[in-house]
Amino acid sequence: MNKKNSLSVLTNGILKENPTLVLILGTCPTLATTTTVTGALGMGIAAMIVLLCSNVFISLLRKVIPETMRIPCYIVIIAGFVTIVKMLVQAFFPGLYETLGVYLDLITVNCIILGRAEMFANKNSVAASALDGIGMGLGFTLALTAMATIREVFGAASFAGASIPFLENYTIAFLTKAPGGLLVYGLLIALVYAITKGKAPAKTSFSCSGCPNAATCHIETCSGKGDEA
Amino acid sequence: MIRNMKNLSIFVCICTAITLLLAITNTFTAPIIEKNQSASANKALFALMPDASGFEQVDTSGYTLPATVSEIHRETSGLGYVMTLVTSGYASDMVIMCGVRTDGTVSGAVCLSSNETLGKEKTYGEQFVNKDAAAVDAVDVIGGATKTTAAYKNAVKDALNASIILGGGSVDIRTEEEILADNLAAALPAGEEQFERLFLVEVLDGIDAVYKAENGAGYVFVMGEQFAGVLSNGTVVTEGVADPAALSGAVQRLEAVVLEEIDLSAYPDLLNTVLSAKKTPSGNFVVETKGAGYGIKGGNEYHPASGEYIVVRVSMTPNGKIIDCLTVSEAETDGLGDACADEKFYGQFVGKTEENYTEIDAISGATMTTDGYKQAIERAFAALSALRGGAQQ
Repeated sequence: MNKKNSLSVLTNGILKENPTLVLILGTCPTLATTTTVTGALGMGIAAMIVLLCSNVFISLLRKVIPETMRIPCYIVIIAGFVTIVKMLVQAFFPGLYETLGVYLDLITVNCIILGRAEMFANKNSVAASALDGIGMGLGFTLALTAMATIREVFGAASFAGASIPFLENYTIAFLTKAPGGLLVYGLLIALVYAITKGKAPAKTSFSCSGCPNAATCHIETCSGKGDEA
Repeated sequence: MIRNMKNLSIFVCICTAITLLLAITNTFTAPIIEKNQSASANKALFALMPDASGFEQVDTSGYTLPATVSEIHRETSGLGYVMTLVTSGYASDMVIMCGVRTDGTVSGAVCLSSNETLGKEKTYGEQFVNKDAAAVDAVDVIGGATKTTAAYKNAVKDALNASIILGGGSVDIRTEEEILADNLAAALPAGEEQFERLFLVEVLDGIDAVYKAENGAGYVFVMGEQFAGVLSNGTVVTEGVADPAALSGAVQRLEAVVLEEIDLSAYPDLLNTVLSAKKTPSGNFVVETKGAGYGIKGGNEYHPASGEYIVVRVSMTPNGKIIDCLTVSEAETDGLGDACADEKFYGQFVGKTEENYTEIDAISGATMTTDGYKQAIERAFAALSALRGGAQQ
């Protein structure tokens, strides 16, 4: 893998193929943990570590993992790394552990992790998979942080817990609630679409081929069969 | 089959590798997590005793402590104890944490959890800080949250008592009811610990209350601090009674009382306010009247009226002095107006006359109940006046 390719793999996840704002994956933790910047950053970094570790591990074992057993294997690997991250967060960042609550465990079923394992790590080298994990993790973290910044600053007049006095009388409490989160999410998706227009991958290129079952799918109309993202 | 076995073996190997990684991580994170959790739990203990250097849990199995005390932590340098107490408030159990110094003062008290409706227990604990047992006793309960704050205060007193017991001292941890029951049983063992308070219809000088043994064995007379047991035949069984003959005479009078029912139809003015009226052979009157408390007047969509009056039984001398008073029934608000059924409230009317019966302590947060009760007493005096004058028709 040359330098240009490496850079492309790393930067893809940040904007062009941002997992949250372009691929629309991991919507549940996105909405749940973006009420505070601290929570969003914590979730983003935790997911990035799991992405990096699981991508590396899966890439390392891609020739060993049997085709028909790959989903259970991915789940075991991802769940294992999530548990390890959970233990580390609980031990060294107890405050963050309290903030993230159940969403930390739910990283196991985060579509981004399983999606990247299926779409990238099981077809690419360890180095490329590691870069993909970091890039996707960074993209996820940045998207969460941007969303949380809007929601916390305008919804609660604070940033990462530090209050912003001049905004205290002008808060939009709606933004801290789930509907407000959806609104901000939608606006950010629209913004990224406007910025990446023409550059983002066409939907067909990651629709059927991105499906975890694409390789074993028996539907004839599955255009993505055999096609790699 | 062989392929399946191979796949399964790979899956088992992956699971084993992940398990190993988890085991390694757990080995060095588990002690840190345990330490964090312990520090978090101890945060509340340090908040109540800021000067503490550490805490250790006390094994309470060798002590007889008040029932509210559920857990005790001893400050390691001997500053005192922090106790967790579980008590019943107005709506549900309250969990209170109270710090007690070895000098017998409260270092802090906080309500950890409760489902109480009024929320005043959240800051009530601040009033006990640096107070000793006597000063804690003097802290007022909060009007509108009488039951909750009274339970809170009793829990703090229990913590102080527990501290004395843990320090090797002895303290009476019985409730008022238990003390009364013990005193009655000691005064008249023949009563077999089953007594009921007698509603007095005759004036018994120097006697505060009379309890009758449910098995008919005799009576216990309460005179200040003294409890004197007298058998039904007039034999005084308690030693050191100043005037045994007077008690024997009192028993004879109590046994001889037969109440004569008065026909209220002869008194049309009383029909709406007086439920029953009786007369003793000595000329005293016993009337049951009703007063409109909160149950009648306070009904609205948020506080539906029970539609029931407060019914009060009053015995009076012909010249208008209250001999005894008792709440027969009430349906006032739980935790507020229902205090009118407490002897501490209705006992205030004993010895009062028409001129001074209003000079009593009102029930905190239940003005309508107090007013309704006074109305019932006022009607009792009106009834007395009418009954003394004879039939109206």
